[in-house]
Amino acid sequence: MIQHLIDGVLVGAIISLGAIGLTMVMHILRFANFSHAELLSVGAYAAFVLGPLIAGLSGALEAGIGPLSLSWAVALAVPLAMAITGATAVLLDRIVFQRVRAKGGELSMVFASFGVALVMRNVIGLIFGLSPHLYSRDIAFAQIISYDPLIMVKPDQVAVLVLALILMLALHLLLSRTTFGYSLRAVAENPDLAQVTGVDLKAAIRAVWLIGGALAAAAGVFYGLTNQIIPVMGRDLVLPIFAATIAGGIGSVYGAVLGGFLVGIAGNLALLVLPPGYTPSLPFVIIIAVLLLRPHGLFGEARA
Amino acid sequence: MKKLLLGGAALMALSVGFTGVTTGSAQAQQCTTKIGAVLPTSVDWGRPIAEVAQFAVDQVNAAGGAGGCQIEMVLRDTQVDPKVGVDAARALVDLDGVEVLLGAVSSGVSMPILTSVTVPSETMMMSCCSSSTAFTNLAEQGETKGLFFRTFATTGVQAAVGAKVAADQGWGKVAILYKNDDWGQDMARIIAADFAEAGVEVTGSVALNDAQPSYRAEVAQALSGQPDAIYLALYPAEGTMAVREWIGLGGTQNMIMANSLKSDEFKENVGLQYLAHAYGTDTASPRAESADAFVEAYRARFEAEPTGPGLANSYDAAMLALLAMEAAGEGATGPQIAAAIPRVTDPEGTPITADTAGFAQAKEVLAGGGTVMYQGATGNVRFDANGDVSAPAVIWKFGESTIEEVQYLPLEEVNAIMSDG
Amino acid sequence: MIGVISYLVFFATVASILAIAVLGLNLHWGYTGLFNGGVVAFFGAGAYGTLMLGGAPQPHLGGFEWPWIFALIGGVAAAAVLAWIVGLLTLRLRHDYLAIATFGVAVAFENTMRNAQGFAGGAQGIRGFERPFREFAGNGLGWNLLYLALVLVALVATYLFLERLARAPFGRLLRAIREDEEAARSLGKSPARIRLTSFVTGSAIMGLAGGLYGTFYAFVSPQDVLPILTFQIWAMLIVGGAGNNRGAVAGAFLIWGAWTASGWGLSRFAPVDWQLYAGSIQWVLIGSVIVGMLMWRPEGLFPERVGEDRPQTGRTT
Repeated sequence: MIQHLIDGVLVGAIISLGAIGLTMVMHILRFANFSHAELLSVGAYAAFVLGPLIAGLSGALEAGIGPLSLSWAVALAVPLAMAITGATAVLLDRIVFQRVRAKGGELSMVFASFGVALVMRNVIGLIFGLSPHLYSRDIAFAQIISYDPLIMVKPDQVAVLVLALILMLALHLLLSRTTFGYSLRAVAENPDLAQVTGVDLKAAIRAVWLIGGALAAAAGVFYGLTNQIIPVMGRDLVLPIFAATIAGGIGSVYGAVLGGFLVGIAGNLALLVLPPGYTPSLPFVIIIAVLLLRPHGLFGEARA
Repeated sequence: MKKLLLGGAALMALSVGFTGVTTGSAQAQQCTTKIGAVLPTSVDWGRPIAEVAQFAVDQVNAAGGAGGCQIEMVLRDTQVDPKVGVDAARALVDLDGVEVLLGAVSSGVSMPILTSVTVPSETMMMSCCSSSTAFTNLAEQGETKGLFFRTFATTGVQAAVGAKVAADQGWGKVAILYKNDDWGQDMARIIAADFAEAGVEVTGSVALNDAQPSYRAEVAQALSGQPDAIYLALYPAEGTMAVREWIGLGGTQNMIMANSLKSDEFKENVGLQYLAHAYGTDTASPRAESADAFVEAYRARFEAEPTGPGLANSYDAAMLALLAMEAAGEGATGPQIAAAIPRVTDPEGTPITADTAGFAQAKEVLAGGGTVMYQGATGNVRFDANGDVSAPAVIWKFGESTIEEVQYLPLEEVNAIMSDG
Repeated sequence: MIGVISYLVFFATVASILAIAVLGLNLHWGYTGLFNGGVVAFFGAGAYGTLMLGGAPQPHLGGFEWPWIFALIGGVAAAAVLAWIVGLLTLRLRHDYLAIATFGVAVAFENTMRNAQGFAGGAQGIRGFERPFREFAGNGLGWNLLYLALVLVALVATYLFLERLARAPFGRLLRAIREDEEAARSLGKSPARIRLTSFVTGSAIMGLAGGLYGTFYAFVSPQDVLPILTFQIWAMLIVGGAGNNRGAVAGAFLIWGAWTASGWGLSRFAPVDWQLYAGSIQWVLIGSVIVGMLMWRPEGLFPERVGEDRPQTGRTT
């Protein structure tokens, strides 16, 4: 039971990072972006390519950090992957979403994003092959924290959780303590009014894509580290991320964080109540339950 | 509505004209016979299955083709979507005029293709990898009209041999991890029964769903029964994830693997050092020198070991279909080709190897009115009345560079274990 | 030549079945503004219901060997009952929240069908279904032609039913609720009940499509009810033009045509070395076509007709 809870928190951290970016995009641009999870793949593969390149600079970087299977090279590749993925997100907006937004309704955006997701996923599959890759072939062994009840935790997962929390904290400070964060929130509340008060709407939208893409990249690398890197990872993660976003309430960064943990924990606890084959259903059952109590998610507000 | 109908008619006229032109030009070439293949090439394990089928076709063409013509394999992706797969099969049969269809992989795709395309249009269908017992039932009811074959023999055999491994190694408690599809569900059910027969306790049987972002909870669940060993009916992608998780959480390294994990990718990503006590099961080639032909030819062509789910099965499916086409002669129809299958899998026939030379030899023998016994990559393939195969079995282990054979079980021994179980 | 006709008959049958499902979705989204993300659950309920009621006895539940038409009606009823339960639970949700909730229902449906081996055959699916009219229409092209005719009858009947509905007071009520729920409520109408009626009706239409689909293949398995089908049907509606029944039908033929033609074209014209990658390339093509359509003509091929109704400008925010 406690083991499942801990595992759920660890999985949830990754989902939360993905959900933060998605909730911001869904709030400000007002569409369900199905291609968001593919940004996780972009980030994961970017780090996969960059890691060995960085390791080539100095052999010392190939070593793992302490007890982690994460090497210095891959760790250093993470900020670069975040930048690349953020730029990819901005570029996608420029090429596709801006144009669709100019002409079509919200549903057009949703389906354009689905199309973009198909293209991205399969282009990645064409470039890197369809089989899984790993940052490191070493298996990370779990450390036993307690024997009764038996609780085991992997150092990698703790590191991922800590890094994810640091990123979330940084984002929190950015949004709550800076004028930039203030203008972002203003845009989210009311784009027209924000523009009147002198906020550059285009810059704000660009920033949202950048932040969303960067966090997604981090989530992608963390996922690759604790699981594996495979072209379909975006497909596998899109539903948990959406579920987290919706359960938390669209537009609420804190809701997304909480929603991520909720979905992660639900997925892990599912096995205690349901036969294993049914586990994919349980997060949705919980989401429906949450929505029945709070129709706009835990922290969401009704939109006109 | 009228405009729509007109548009549809125009489209129809257009595509009719279009097809007319292309088939015309195809006929103008030297004699080429098309065969169809509907395989999931956009899925990680599907692409190699298609690659190896094409490899068989290339070898046959190097031997001068089959049925008097060069062979062109028209390959379509199923997207693992039954609608798409059936449409592809329809187009291959109707537009490309194929008499032989290789595929599909998933039983959920093969079944509607069989019932709504190949049987009504009398096309021979040879699946490498569809494992569902439903095909046997359908054949017993005479619904397949003898047009359906599959080179996948492994569900029952593998389960029986897997249980034998546990008993031989003295593993009294085993947990099962299985892929939650038709093959995995069958596998889990049969192996659980076989374990029970062999006096091995099953501590838990956990399904792994496709497209799940993490298998940690499932693995922890299987671990909680504290088994002596783990049985894995998985494919490499989720197998790698689950086994790395399993070992990382301190699970036993005593493993029994279905042949789907006979994959270099799995070995490398898990690490050979953790696989010292991992035993695999598979159907085997007979003890004949010639049986290594496939392995050698594959190494020469792909510079890799022919390991991975369905590869050997796919190769044999393609080879057998082409041998039957050769035996049936030029311009043969689907039922004629299907009827020629016994001539190329005759246990009394001339043994032939699974490569270009073997096919060339088979051509001579068949031309002289003789019969041949194909010794394929999955063994000495022989179909029963329902199009199912039986074959000898082998227990294997991962070695440094190759797959090491631990024990060979001739057909008689396999049948003995199976009837016990 | 006979091959081409045979293929076109086959293609038209599948496209028409999908078109019926798209019409059902049009009632949900185009007329009522309900974002149903679980189309495949109702389609699947129709298919499973029909095959379980009309099939021969199997190890799992079902195999009641009902005459085909009754089995089909039973399948439609199964979809309607499922929709009624789901609707009662979820229809007070809006927009994306409704979409994810109904999507969850579809995932749970697929999951149940995949795992409940004693109930619906598990991952192996349901077979043992005897296609109707085989005694006199045979098994080949004749049967396919007859079945295409049947499907077309169902399609035209659905189309006429929805067109009539759109013009009836009920249709105006639906649009009133879609555009301004408060105003509709102030006129003394119960939006919740009307929305539920529309949801159940549209889902029953999807169930009809599912029943016809299951009959056509004489087989259904969990692989038939994966979320990709929901996406396909939505793409057909969006490309065809939401709110317009002609657009819905045209969208079904167009998207399904593009979907299958891309594979056919690649198998025929792509170089041999590329064939192995054709599957992935096909997905890229499909994605690009959808994105391109939405960039080029986001209101769909047949926008909702002005005059008869207000054009839909997307949700106002």
